[in-house]
Amino acid sequence: MKEYIDSGILEVFVMGIATDEEVKELMYMKAKYPEVNEALKHLEIDMERIAADMALAPPPGTWDRIEDEIDGLIRRETYTQPVKFRTDHGHNGYEKTAPPEQFISIESESNHMRLHKSWRWVFAGVFVLGKIFLGFAIYFYLENRQTQQQLQELKTEIRELKKK
Amino acid sequence: MNTRLQTPAPVVQSDSAAVLNLYNSYAAKLLGYIYEVVQNKLVAEQYLEAVFNDIPNELEQFSKNGTSALCLLQIMARKKLVHFFEALENDTDKTTWENLPWTNNPYVAVMTPLQQQVFGGIHYQCKSTEHIAIELNKTEEEIRKTLKECFTIIRNRRDNERVH
Repeated sequence: MKEYIDSGILEVFVMGIATDEEVKELMYMKAKYPEVNEALKHLEIDMERIAADMALAPPPGTWDRIEDEIDGLIRRETYTQPVKFRTDHGHNGYEKTAPPEQFISIESESNHMRLHKSWRWVFAGVFVLGKIFLGFAIYFYLENRQTQQQLQELKTEIRELKKK
Repeated sequence: MNTRLQTPAPVVQSDSAAVLNLYNSYAAKLLGYIYEVVQNKLVAEQYLEAVFNDIPNELEQFSKNGTSALCLLQIMARKKLVHFFEALENDTDKTTWENLPWTNNPYVAVMTPLQQQVFGGIHYQCKSTEHIAIELNKTEEEIRKTLKECFTIIRNRRDNERVH
């Protein structure tokens, strides 16, 4: 373990120049061996000490500018990104990108239906035809009822004549 | 060390409070560190803001694996400072910057020239151990051991101060 600590790997890690494999190995060693963890903590304290000795207070207004930038990021993330005009041939200078959604929702959430204006004449025609058919139906019903009554009267007359 | 997140979580109001907490605890230390690197107050403040603006996307790292928040902030700052070194385009700029007195740091001042090169190279110049090993014509193991010595010096000085 001492050999591992003395190899300089911890210093390289603290400086941020360790390779990905070295970082993985160090994370494993740190979790397994408390002395590695302790040595690493000491190094971090060393780095803090150097930094503290050379610290400079940032001028007033620095945080305000950073905050504005971060708030801007929050606002930008809140609104959805507008979709750029797409073309199949890329003539507009933009690369052809995949649309944000591959499928379009067919079922509408609204309870109302929108139709072309020309459909109103069709509906008016259907309404008028419906009225005409209704008129005919009433007329033929009454006609039929009258004929039935006349037929009944004739039958009665014939029966009376036969009796005589 | 890999501090990138696979999928950044959406930024929420509580993130702003978490960033404020980190700002109150570490902004001065981080600004001091960045200033030691860039040696320009205005530039250092800009880097400080850039680091804190990025924290909402990296907040998960701060609650993960128990690494010190200051170390994580310094790692984030080093990633950003890579652009600073890239911006030092010509040789004159580089020479001027490399001669800057970051050795003013009382801990670095007591180190040997080799230790200063190693510690300064990693801590202030954001170089990898591999890079420094090539520059100094040494093995990576030797560089890591030297880095370890640097931390021993820092700790001894810290302990001496505590005794006095």
